[in-house]
Amino acid sequence: MSANLGVMIVVLIIWLGVFVYLLRLDKKVKELERK
Amino acid sequence: MWWKILTGVLIGAVVIAVFLMPPPQKELGDISRIFFFHVPVAWVTVLAFLVAMVNSILYLSRKNPVYDLQAAISSQLGFLFAILATVSGAIFAKNAWGSFWNWDPRETSVFILLLIYGAYLALRSAIEAEDRRANLSAVYSILAFITVPFLVFVVPRVFQSLHPTDTIVNSQIKFQMPPLLLFIFLGSLLGFSLLFFWIYNLEVKLNILYKKAKEVNPAR
Repeated sequence: MSANLGVMIVVLIIWLGVFVYLLRLDKKVKELERK
Repeated sequence: MWWKILTGVLIGAVVIAVFLMPPPQKELGDISRIFFFHVPVAWVTVLAFLVAMVNSILYLSRKNPVYDLQAAISSQLGFLFAILATVSGAIFAKNAWGSFWNWDPRETSVFILLLIYGAYLALRSAIEAEDRRANLSAVYSILAFITVPFLVFVVPRVFQSLHPTDTIVNSQIKFQMPPLLLFIFLGSLLGFSLLFFWIYNLEVKLNILYKKAKEVNPAR
């Protein structure tokens, strides 16, 4: 169970990184479109 | 914006649910959890190649270069998701069958699919004239998609395969998963599909912006 928890935390951190990157990129694209 | 937040929450919730619940198949143990990522990623591969084909048809009928751009981006993403499905499948194969690659019909068919769409990307990069590239790759993309249903759905069911075929639906095309697993699985399918459309949308917009910037300043 604890090994699963460790893998879950690693996968969640990776996903959070990808998600935040996409949100920031989305914001940047919107800014560029407005210019 | 709301659907982007939904994508984040959905995939996050799927990750938590998949790792906290007992393994979906007791005989296979923890490795069976990969099913909730492997199948949605494979599904997105088919979805991306379908989007590429639809855009290719639209390009040939309307000759709008945006459709060509959309077809190219969708094919690139489909190729990327096909690699992810192959890698996650190989991890499953190592744990369930003893080796990463067995030339099982399912593995062979995804390998052929990667070759077909790899050739599409090579074709695009080999032709410099924009019109010619767009026309040829649109025709190729439509022909390539005809093979997808055969390679993904038919071949692994016609030939004897180690790959499980009745995990989601049985031979009567009825869902046979317990409700909780089905709920998590459908959540994962939706989450990965939304993720695909998000990345696709971003890439299309970025490429259009890049082209506009290049028109204004060709030195860039």
